[in-house]
Amino acid sequence: MSNSAFHFLLLFLTLFLHLTIVFSWKKEEFRNCNQTPFCKQARSRKPGYCSLIATDISVVDGNVNAKLIPKTSDQDSNPLILTLSVYQDGILRLKIDEDPNLNPPKKRFEVPDVIVPEFETKKLWLQRVSTEVIGGDSEPSSVVYLGDGFEGVIRADPFEIFVREKGGKRILSLNSHGLFDFEQLRVKKEEDDWEENFRGHTDTRPYGPQSISFDVSFYESEFVYGIPEHATRLALKPTRGPGIDHSEPYRLFNLDVFEYLHESPFGLYGSVPFMLAHGKSRGTSGFFWLNAAEMQIDVLGAGWDADSGISLPSDQARIDTLWMSEAGVVDAFFFIGPGPKDVARQYTSVTGMPAMPQHFAVAYHQCRWNYRDEEDVELVDSKFDEFDIPYDVLWLDIEHTDGKRYFTWDKVLFPNPEEMQKKLSAKGRHMVTIVDPHIKRDDSYYIHREATQKGYYVKDAKGNDYDGWCWPGSSSYLDMLSPEVRDWWGEKFSLQNYVGSTPSLYIWNDMNEPSVFNGPEVTMPRDALHYGGVEHRELHNAYGYYFHMATSNGLVKRGNGQDRPFVLSRAIFPGTQRYGAVWTGDNTADWDQLRASVSMVLTLGLTGISFSGADVGGFFGNPEPELLVRWYQLGAYYPFFRAHAHHDTKRREPWLFGERNTEIMKDAIRMRYILLPYFYTLFREANTTGVPVMRPLWMEFPYDEATFSNDEAFMVGKSLLVQGIFTEKAKSVNVYMPGEQAWYDLRTGITYKGASNHKLGVSEESIPAFQRAGTIIPRKDRLRRSSTQMVNDPYTLVIALNSSKSAEGELYIDDGKSFEFEQGAYIHRRFVFSDGKLTSINIAPGASGKSQFLSNCIVERIILLGHSSGSKSALIEPANLKVDVELGPLWLRGSKGPLVPTIRRPNVRIADDWSVKIL
Amino acid sequence: MGLALLALVIFGFASPIVRSDSVLGVSPQDEEFYKASSSGSIKCKDGSGKFTRAQLNDDFCDCLDGTDEPGTSACPGGKFYCRNAGHTPLYLFSSRVNDGICDCCDGSDEYNGSIKCPNTCWEAGKVARDKLKKKIATYQEGLNLRKQEIEQAKLAIAKDEAELSKLKSEETILKGRVQQLEERKEQIEKAEEKERLEKEKEDKKRKEDAEKSKAKSEDEKEIHIQDESATGSTQNNLEGSPKDQNLRLKASLHRPWRSKKISLSDKRLTERNTSINPCVVQIPQLIAILMDKDVPVSSSYVLNRGTEVEHDGNFDNEGSLENSIQQHAAVDEKETAGISDTDLHSGSEVTHDQVAKPEKDASENTEALSKEELGRLVASRWTGESSEKSEEDTTAEDGGHDNNEQTPESTHSEEYDAYDLENDDDNQMYDDDDNVDDSMGEDIGDEHHYNDPASSYRSDSESESDLSEIATTSNPSWLEKIQKTVRNILQAVNLFQAPVNISDAAHVRKEYEDTSSKLSKIQSRISSLTRKLDNDFGPVKEFYSFYDRCFESKQNKYVYKICPFKQASQEEGHSKTRLGRWEKFEGSYRTMVFSKGDKCWNGPDRSLKELQQKLDEMNKEQPQSHDEL
Repeated sequence: MSNSAFHFLLLFLTLFLHLTIVFSWKKEEFRNCNQTPFCKQARSRKPGYCSLIATDISVVDGNVNAKLIPKTSDQDSNPLILTLSVYQDGILRLKIDEDPNLNPPKKRFEVPDVIVPEFETKKLWLQRVSTEVIGGDSEPSSVVYLGDGFEGVIRADPFEIFVREKGGKRILSLNSHGLFDFEQLRVKKEEDDWEENFRGHTDTRPYGPQSISFDVSFYESEFVYGIPEHATRLALKPTRGPGIDHSEPYRLFNLDVFEYLHESPFGLYGSVPFMLAHGKSRGTSGFFWLNAAEMQIDVLGAGWDADSGISLPSDQARIDTLWMSEAGVVDAFFFIGPGPKDVARQYTSVTGMPAMPQHFAVAYHQCRWNYRDEEDVELVDSKFDEFDIPYDVLWLDIEHTDGKRYFTWDKVLFPNPEEMQKKLSAKGRHMVTIVDPHIKRDDSYYIHREATQKGYYVKDAKGNDYDGWCWPGSSSYLDMLSPEVRDWWGEKFSLQNYVGSTPSLYIWNDMNEPSVFNGPEVTMPRDALHYGGVEHRELHNAYGYYFHMATSNGLVKRGNGQDRPFVLSRAIFPGTQRYGAVWTGDNTADWDQLRASVSMVLTLGLTGISFSGADVGGFFGNPEPELLVRWYQLGAYYPFFRAHAHHDTKRREPWLFGERNTEIMKDAIRMRYILLPYFYTLFREANTTGVPVMRPLWMEFPYDEATFSNDEAFMVGKSLLVQGIFTEKAKSVNVYMPGEQAWYDLRTGITYKGASNHKLGVSEESIPAFQRAGTIIPRKDRLRRSSTQMVNDPYTLVIALNSSKSAEGELYIDDGKSFEFEQGAYIHRRFVFSDGKLTSINIAPGASGKSQFLSNCIVERIILLGHSSGSKSALIEPANLKVDVELGPLWLRGSKGPLVPTIRRPNVRIADDWSVKIL
Repeated sequence: MGLALLALVIFGFASPIVRSDSVLGVSPQDEEFYKASSSGSIKCKDGSGKFTRAQLNDDFCDCLDGTDEPGTSACPGGKFYCRNAGHTPLYLFSSRVNDGICDCCDGSDEYNGSIKCPNTCWEAGKVARDKLKKKIATYQEGLNLRKQEIEQAKLAIAKDEAELSKLKSEETILKGRVQQLEERKEQIEKAEEKERLEKEKEDKKRKEDAEKSKAKSEDEKEIHIQDESATGSTQNNLEGSPKDQNLRLKASLHRPWRSKKISLSDKRLTERNTSINPCVVQIPQLIAILMDKDVPVSSSYVLNRGTEVEHDGNFDNEGSLENSIQQHAAVDEKETAGISDTDLHSGSEVTHDQVAKPEKDASENTEALSKEELGRLVASRWTGESSEKSEEDTTAEDGGHDNNEQTPESTHSEEYDAYDLENDDDNQMYDDDDNVDDSMGEDIGDEHHYNDPASSYRSDSESESDLSEIATTSNPSWLEKIQKTVRNILQAVNLFQAPVNISDAAHVRKEYEDTSSKLSKIQSRISSLTRKLDNDFGPVKEFYSFYDRCFESKQNKYVYKICPFKQASQEEGHSKTRLGRWEKFEGSYRTMVFSKGDKCWNGPDRSLKELQQKLDEMNKEQPQSHDEL
């Protein structure tokens, strides 16, 4: 008895501990740099460590080739092969790999299917290299042409690569501190013990250590940005250097992190090894390393190299970084900018432009883990109607399935999925269901059966189907690196194969890091094997990308290439932007995470992934109504606007917090719908230029230093500035409004001087948002159930005049659904206001072939902010019609809207050329 | 209400004729507003501005409140009126006008040619009218039912109150008797003491004969033994043995569920992902369904409950008690077996691991976990179910199948066991109210057929056992008998002189024990009745009979159990979540509030607001929503 009582006590304690650990991120479950040999070693190296020199420089196939050999004849080390190529728009590509002619144990992994095929067509065939002796070098350096006024340089001894303005200032460089290291693959000998153990997991490391590291320097840069995904500030803080307490490097290793912390360099669900640097004088540059293995990146604080004795030119405002990766090859891209949007374009010319989403996907999404059953779906749907709150997409999380077998439905909860979707789609709404990459190991589950038979699973180190644990329990993971598996997977989304699906159903890919509950660091063992003998360590960060790709391509196939896919992914890799939207994962309902969401979404945008957002309301925990309201107000400006919640949180649909809060949240959602024409135009801009929808202020104001580290405010496009409110019961907020031009309060029309700080009173009704003087924003002011019904609604144009009484803006429209726009089936207008006259100009190139997009939409209202004349009428040309100019409301929302000069019912067709002259 | 519904029906039939000069989207009552101002400008209703007749419905919003655009979608705040001749008129949000979706049955909201909406008002109206008629009928029926309930409540209250006053007077009498007996007992004891002292004196005096004194001491022993058997034979004896057994049972049962926890602590954690536990449960139609199928107590249920009632109320029925003990023992074995199974999974060192675990942070100890356990553990962070819940989960798992209703043992939750054990027989009979807290966790009618979408049955508390008990206690002859016996005893043993008549003394003691035990039973019954009557049963006590009833409804995988005035719970398979205990009525008796349920993970306590209109329920009205289910 006493024994059992003792037992009981212990048990109680055990339970207690289990309960407590449930509540926070467990640092020790994840490897830190010191527990990671390649990171620890690379960090411990001193500048000047690298002894390689570049030799045998030659031009082959339009590339510059070289060999990297140790300066002092090293016994055991093979020369490395270096290839330098140059692409249009000032892009320099550097590859370094083992020499295939020297029979390495295996080919190191180069990530396929990330670089878009078109990129190769932009290659400049180098004919020759010039040489130049730099400083007191013993060997001459090789210089290649890199666009107008720029050059790439291979310095032979000490080995260094850099990009500079022609004959002048450096922009970017690699190995300037001599930290380059490349561990070559080896064949295991008897005495080699390469095994690594972490928390009970053994990594066999059959090829031994194979890491790569090097330093990269950005010149005349004040801040560096990018390398998502971390819950950090927008401008990356140094992780090493004088005065910096111990900090982990920024880690890039896709992980399913439970309750992540803000302000941490810890790696989250995605990895984009692309860093941007920006400074006032020189502008923006970028460095991208295409590598899917675990990466760690140090941002080195000024003075970190004080003792190194290596002095670099242009020591002013240089930012040094250290890049470390566990495996792969060097395949690095240098982007010269010089503007932020130039870098965005250059980077996306390599990894692809953000896909053009369907119009509905740009609207508001309602999600929760879980909408319980069909009745629940119907109830939530009807509540939106009851409160006249628009929404476009209702989401179903994992519980809709039959025992977490994706592509199936819980027969009790969802007996009639097709009917349910049809009911939604009758109101122009869509549904999204979740499909994760872990496949339940159940022989009666067709996906598992087929995948097993066909050998489509990732294998463990012994060659058996890898068996891990996820939602369904024991699970295996499809090997998405294989194109065959991806095709097979894509077929599963056809309407025939996915029983219970309809054309209005789209997909959500979660857990694709991949998340493996009982794997090392909650993911797959590094020695698991993929298609072609690729080790998981080499591929890890791209696993979710291939899964996302396969799903997205499956949906394209489902729609016979006529229907743009919508797939949300949690895992991220360069190129993700081509396949769909992403979100910032399982955040928490607190103010800090609301704030962090801005930096995270901005960072994703900078690295090409424009279509992103954070869970509105915060996934974990119950937001106070005020926080939820603020989150809606901010989230309405995220490119991806979705509310989501953990299943043990209280219901939090917008009508559950009293009439007042319902009104405010409805207003926030409506703001998004009203601005949909503007947002959609921005998505098209991202689709053609790589410039994100949601932008850091410095992207629009690259010469205004006050913007460089501002991550509380952001731009939506170039016309809209939004300031978040991140504290409880805020009474006032300081808003910095950059640029020379004034800003108009979006709701009141009140003007504020540019290039200054404004302390503004804050109300609960909205967060501050401003239209930039000199811009024109297209709106659709009519309220509808969903964006689908807005198609034929008339436009409102809001003209915010600048100091010279002029403004301009754009509008892009297409069918919102198909790929016809790629054949030119769209309307693209530029509106220019000057000298009291608004002109609509066609900027779409003539539609190629027969594809044409037509719209009968008209402009019902033109609002003139900053227009003071007492004009009473306006003349429409070429119709030669007179219309009234009067004082009208800026917003059609209830009682007291401010009155502003308004051209009433010009009723010009949006697709036509016309002008409206104020008389 | 009936009249209002009737009026609606009539109104539906008598829809006004559509006039050609009417303003689109304006109700007939409102037309005057627009007409009156036709001369010049018309004011916006909110006073924000004015507009000309030409601007009325010109598809441009001039009034922020939408006054000028009743027939278009131009003002986001506007309302569109459709006449729906043949059916009920309707106000729509202006967002519905010309949006390509037919909202009015007369199709008047879609007039821009993008879609053709057929007029379906007559058909829809007919359906609605039929529904209303039916509703009225049900309403009438419900009224009757309500009347019945009120009548029944009156009777039941009268009965309970009568019983209460009777019990109270009995209490007074018994108190007197007990006092008398006590006095008499004390007299006897004094006499005995005196006798003993005298004997001792004699002993001292006589001292010489050791054998004699030995014999005397044996006599004393004998008396003592007889004494015990005398009192025991009435009650203590019988009561004592089940108590002892219960104690044993307690001891044996405590271990299994504790050890169960051990084996579960990691493994069960993943099971929960199969079951979502909504923290805020909304079951609007639940009670309605329940009332809809207000079935009498099923016989199988009664039988099952019977065992318990018997071993509680009937002292000679040792058999049933034994049965139940064996049943528990079986559970014990089964669970122990389950544990060893799990232990085997994680290796022979499991116990040591588990012993060591609390000393370290559990998360650091993941190396000791099997891969499966680790998977479950990590999964549980997201699913985050509480330990109690998961325990039940695994209990279910131990039972074999999640939804196996045929494993009653495994439904014995921790609370259930505790309940059984902590109530000794006496308490169980009268003190169910005291044990509401404990009995919350009890599975009322696990054997009940879940296939019924909803059903009601008598709550376990006082029903069966009490009725029988009431019959016993309130039997007049019973009281008379006691009184008579007492009188007899008092008379018979009137004079106490040494030596005390041994059998008389035993008799007195027995009667004393007996009577005071009856008294305490009566007192606890009084307190439970008083507590019952103290409840708020509605303005005309129409909910009185609900006190002894429970309702359950199967909503997909969950079974919701609601015992008004007691508690509400949600069950899935064998896992049970307490949604709340009775708090009060709300919203003029239309809502039952149960609060302080099991804590949600990372969240607040669960609570249940029984949203269904209780009044409707009493009215036996079939709610519209039910039809939509």
